[in-house]
Amino acid sequence: MKIGVQTKNVVNDHNPEEGFSLLKRTGFSCVDFSLNGYLNNQALYRGEVNSFFDRKIQELELFFTPHKSAAEAAGIEVSQMHMPYPNYVPGGGRELNEYLKNVVAPKSMEVCAFFGCPYIVIHGFKLAEHLGSEEAEWAVTEAFLDFLAPMAREMGITICVENLYCGIGGHLVEGPCCDAAKAAERIDRMNERYHGEVLGFCFDTGHANLVGIDFEDFIATLGHRLKVLHIHDNDGVGDLHQIPFTFTRTRENSSSTDWDGFVRGLSRAGYQGTLSFETAPVLTAFPERLKEPVLRLIAGIGQCFAEGVHQI
Amino acid sequence: MNIICSPAGIMDPAFPGQGVLDMAGSGFENTLLDLNMYCSPGELEDVGKPKVAAWKKKEAAEPEWKKKVPISEEPARLSREVKPFLEKCAGAKIEVSVAIAPCLKWSTKREDLEVLLTRLAQESIKVCGQAGIPYLIVQPLFASVARGAEWEKNRAYFLGLAESAGENGVRLLLQNQCRDVNGHLSRGICAAPGEAADWIDRLNRELGEERFGFCMDVGVYNLCGQNMREAAVTLGSRVKAVILRDCNGRDKSAMLPFTCVNGGRSVTDWLGLIRGLREIGFDGELILHFEDTACAFSPLLRPELMRLAKATAEYFRWQIGIENFLKKYKSVVLFGAGRMCRNYMKCYGEKYPPLYTCDNNQALWGTEVCGLTVKDPESLKGLPEDCAILICNIFYREIEKQLREMGVGNPIDYFNDEYMPFFDME
Repeated sequence: MKIGVQTKNVVNDHNPEEGFSLLKRTGFSCVDFSLNGYLNNQALYRGEVNSFFDRKIQELELFFTPHKSAAEAAGIEVSQMHMPYPNYVPGGGRELNEYLKNVVAPKSMEVCAFFGCPYIVIHGFKLAEHLGSEEAEWAVTEAFLDFLAPMAREMGITICVENLYCGIGGHLVEGPCCDAAKAAERIDRMNERYHGEVLGFCFDTGHANLVGIDFEDFIATLGHRLKVLHIHDNDGVGDLHQIPFTFTRTRENSSSTDWDGFVRGLSRAGYQGTLSFETAPVLTAFPERLKEPVLRLIAGIGQCFAEGVHQI
Repeated sequence: MNIICSPAGIMDPAFPGQGVLDMAGSGFENTLLDLNMYCSPGELEDVGKPKVAAWKKKEAAEPEWKKKVPISEEPARLSREVKPFLEKCAGAKIEVSVAIAPCLKWSTKREDLEVLLTRLAQESIKVCGQAGIPYLIVQPLFASVARGAEWEKNRAYFLGLAESAGENGVRLLLQNQCRDVNGHLSRGICAAPGEAADWIDRLNRELGEERFGFCMDVGVYNLCGQNMREAAVTLGSRVKAVILRDCNGRDKSAMLPFTCVNGGRSVTDWLGLIRGLREIGFDGELILHFEDTACAFSPLLRPELMRLAKATAEYFRWQIGIENFLKKYKSVVLFGAGRMCRNYMKCYGEKYPPLYTCDNNQALWGTEVCGLTVKDPESLKGLPEDCAILICNIFYREIEKQLREMGVGNPIDYFNDEYMPFFDME
């Protein structure tokens, strides 16, 4: 199994070669390209949009050409990408939401294709509270997916929805795509409709841990529909995006996140894709001079997971 | 819908008088027999373990009347132990509609207690039969159960209890559980609503009668960050009881609803719960469990706390059954022409159409909101006597006072849209 990590906080626009070669040196062969970093989600919720995606697609391709070349030169594969999110801002107004749908999303797909990346992760719309039910919420997300699906089929890209959370008074509770059986049924339905794998799933370990999801059952239920991963850890309270095995809650000091269940689940699902870490915040938490050993540790944990999956 | 007050944190099983008095004094007419108060998870954890010297010393110092063989060593004594509480309840005209069988801690490492748990569940069923308690909540087996064997193990366990339950006229309620992952509470047995619904259906089908139902523990759903509307809708009519309790979403506790807040907002998904219970037309046992809040308050403040608890439970009953009060009136008019009025029209306008609405804002008179004419409040004086006025404005009491001072004698009720959809994509 290949090991990957986010480009955020490693690969910069001024000198992408440096970041990609660092990743290769520290044990990674894949990256999750952080396209979302170019359109900040917090800013979007405030109704602020920068002009990055105003560029024509040719200009975007030109912008990302050094990144693509640097990845190729380092022998790093762009195995997955994260579309900017949210794709819909409740109360954000028609202009903003149409821009996110009609400009940002299609251009993200084109950038994904430019990198030759097979998977792009999107966030489902967080609207259950507003619309009264999860079904009504999914209907809106599905309409968005229907908008992108023909493009995905043509480009050979699988769009992946991930399990998300919502906040109630600061308490993080389940959000879109937290029911594996429903997700599996919806993915199958959409793929049948488009006669191809236009939709898949991205399992996010940190988000699942926040809402007490049983990793093994969830992953096993998804089975072959699981295409990519966001691997990271937290204390069960905040979405901290830390290194697996960081958190404990008892004096026995065993991990309070069910990593054994994670490995068993991947094995039961027959997952052979990339073990990709979404741990960018770790790299700003540690001093810069520890970046390399930290990345090595993350890659090492990936190897450990891979061995675990193969041993079962 | 029965409002039930859990005695945990309120009543001392050895001296049940005051707790029962407090419940009756605050208007509760129904309580719960929590058998964990007689055989606690802590006691079960220590079964068969050698007692430490300090414990032996403490035990020796206790007066004779307090020295009892633990229930875990003599389960048949359970019915005798609960008698004082049941007698006090009968004396105070408090009914007991639900009981909870002794259960294990989620963090337990004890895998050797299955026989004892079965015995305790059987004794609990007998107690229910003797006391005429129709529902018994029984925790599914989990501690000694290998992954993948959950259903088979529990199938045998529950079907084994079913005969005795039938003889005693008791319905067994399964309950959603947490799983302790080294101190982090995640979703355990029956936490997935689809799985729980499936288990209940299979048990009832195999038995050939509806002996099994479900008890939704809101605290557990909250600890696992679960969508409570989806849980209620998936479980549907299988939900016979709901345990209302608040917690911070991290630690197991039982607080009074709406008391666990952050930044002025409750951290529990009451919106989802109420929406879900409304959708399934829930009309079962509504159990208020606020042990930790009750313990934290001074006993001097207990009567006031109990009155607030009763009002809170009534509020839930009202919100869940909001249509019941709308059904009461032959005709209604609304007071208020703002968002709450629009939400009334969106959710109930077709089923319970108002004659018109009125508003204190003179500029709105003669205009229309969602097809309703907005009138001067003075028009209310001409209403037929049995037409109710529903106040659709958060200044409920002030408006009611205004109307009464105007001499309006019609029934006045408060509408509320806190738990309704309020957003339209278009």
